[in-house]
Amino acid sequence: MTKKIIRSKSPNTFTELPDDWIIICRCEEITKGEIRRAVYEGMSTPNEIKRYLRAGMGLCQGQTCSHLIRFIVARELGIPALEVPAPTSRAPARPVEMGVLANDGLKLQAVVN
Amino acid sequence: MERYDLIVIGAGPAGLSAAIEAASAGMSVVVYDENSRPGGQLFKQIHKFFGSREHKAKERGFRIGEKLLAEANDLGVKVMLSSTVLGVYENREITVMTASQVNHVKASSIIIATGASENMLPFKGWTLPGVIGAGAAQTMMNLHGVRPGKRVLMIGSGNVGLVVGYQIMQAGCTLAAVVDASPTIGGYGVHAAKIARTGLPFYTSHTIKEAHGSDRVEAATIVEVDKSWNPVPGSEKRIEIDTICIAVGLKPMSQLAAMAGCVMEENPLKGGVVPVCDEFGETSLAGVFVAGDVAGIEEASSAMIQGKIAGAASALRMGCISEDIFKSKCTEYRRSLEQLREGMFAHKNRGKPKESTDEGFKLSQSLLQRGFVADVEISHYPGVPPAEKRARGIVPVIECTQNIPCDPCQDACRKGCIKVGTTITKLPEIDAAVECTGCGMCVVSCPGQAIFLINECVEGDFANVSIPYEFHPLPNKGDKGIALSRSGEYLGEAEVISVVTSRASDETSMLTMRVCGELSMKARFFRAN
Repeated sequence: MTKKIIRSKSPNTFTELPDDWIIICRCEEITKGEIRRAVYEGMSTPNEIKRYLRAGMGLCQGQTCSHLIRFIVARELGIPALEVPAPTSRAPARPVEMGVLANDGLKLQAVVN
Repeated sequence: MERYDLIVIGAGPAGLSAAIEAASAGMSVVVYDENSRPGGQLFKQIHKFFGSREHKAKERGFRIGEKLLAEANDLGVKVMLSSTVLGVYENREITVMTASQVNHVKASSIIIATGASENMLPFKGWTLPGVIGAGAAQTMMNLHGVRPGKRVLMIGSGNVGLVVGYQIMQAGCTLAAVVDASPTIGGYGVHAAKIARTGLPFYTSHTIKEAHGSDRVEAATIVEVDKSWNPVPGSEKRIEIDTICIAVGLKPMSQLAAMAGCVMEENPLKGGVVPVCDEFGETSLAGVFVAGDVAGIEEASSAMIQGKIAGAASALRMGCISEDIFKSKCTEYRRSLEQLREGMFAHKNRGKPKESTDEGFKLSQSLLQRGFVADVEISHYPGVPPAEKRARGIVPVIECTQNIPCDPCQDACRKGCIKVGTTITKLPEIDAAVECTGCGMCVVSCPGQAIFLINECVEGDFANVSIPYEFHPLPNKGDKGIALSRSGEYLGEAEVISVVTSRASDETSMLTMRVCGELSMKARFFRAN
């Protein structure tokens, strides 16, 4: 589904729900309410919500929450969850320390304490 | 830049099987796994597999893992552990991180066999300590020897929830209940029956409403749901537990395929987003294959075959095997794979309302809803000998009532008493003409623990019932206790006549208990006093 079509389905008014305080992104501690509000503020894909809220940018890189975010977005927009695009996958597939990335391609001779 | 003929990402059942297949054809193979131990899910699987002998039926998962690893080592496959593949790039180049080093590695073919990750279910209180995935609980117990908690609530009644639930009991924890929002139990009836006979309650058409506790889980409230998945007000039930296991499905870990540029598709039957691939597992990128759960959630037996197919395809690509050999291998592998994809729980049969088995026997609704076959239903099945035969001496009673691909019972009986046939989804039948010797091999061979020996010809008004038993501590001869029914209800007193554990049974003991004669077709579990 293209961005144009998703944007044409913007939700009407934001109303608080009793379970808005449930944490969805456990790594970054982002709640369902924050994600729902983000949808109302124009973020309609997990990629956008990730950049807007950091939901999906923590240690597990969205392994736990990406799916849940898609369901929430789908519900707010009134569309089937399958029509909400999956987040884009990029290297590195797992979190990497900056120092280790700097060692890319170098053969380390000894372990330095 | 390191170069190999084949890079395999993931040292689980699919990855190791692929590596073995390719190495057998003479290819240089490296396998990377981010974990410190190889084997993927296999080393956590302490239960016996289903299928047929070619699918390693009756073998425990971790033993299959050990064999695969040994075979891979013998063939010179390089297995690199604690090695995380960070990305898959153009022209089959990958970057892999081991300790503090990032290396670039290239190959003629790449097989992505990264498996799956657990789905999560958010509910009030799900961030309290004590809420974990069922797979995580399984890793904790079976790999690290740590109990996840004392009293456990299992959310989800698919095979993962049922099998892990049983293993939670084996680890010495109390399984308080199994909950599923669906009106029927999702996994195999025999897996449900194993735990129902211990008294475990199933709450179908229920979901978890909230987990309570201050520093950790102390209790949970479950609630009934209607046909539209809405909570039914007033149906809340509070269960005192300290651990909640979530078993609500798996999804493929296909990020590496997506970032490599494979054309992806979303398929709910496969569990999520998977790369589009042909029947050999090759994706839209030439030389990049997928095998196992990453290509679609199934099980370890299917993963191993898919791995072999992809391994053979990569060998063909390099010219290490001829087209003819490849074709004949794949025909054989595909036949084996399709055997597993039959039966009541196969993808193609999902969603179809089921009233009866393929042979026309009425399916037990009690089994589907409550986890046990009702007393009045059990005699209808072909594995249950009629009363006249039972009255003449010791007989096997096979309480296998659903079509699943599985036949180790057939090979277990030396006298040929049990027949399944070549269509391994058929319900097993007892040949009334064969005299049972009472050796018990069938009892300890059935991966579903659905076979019992009944001897109604015991002095006095007694009967001996032999059951498969896999709990510690093992009862001893002479121990007194109680006999429980298929639903875990108290039936009467029982005394242990014998407990037999043979090497051939691989840790499944056969416990024979003496009960009142009238309980011969009801008593299916023993609990010591």
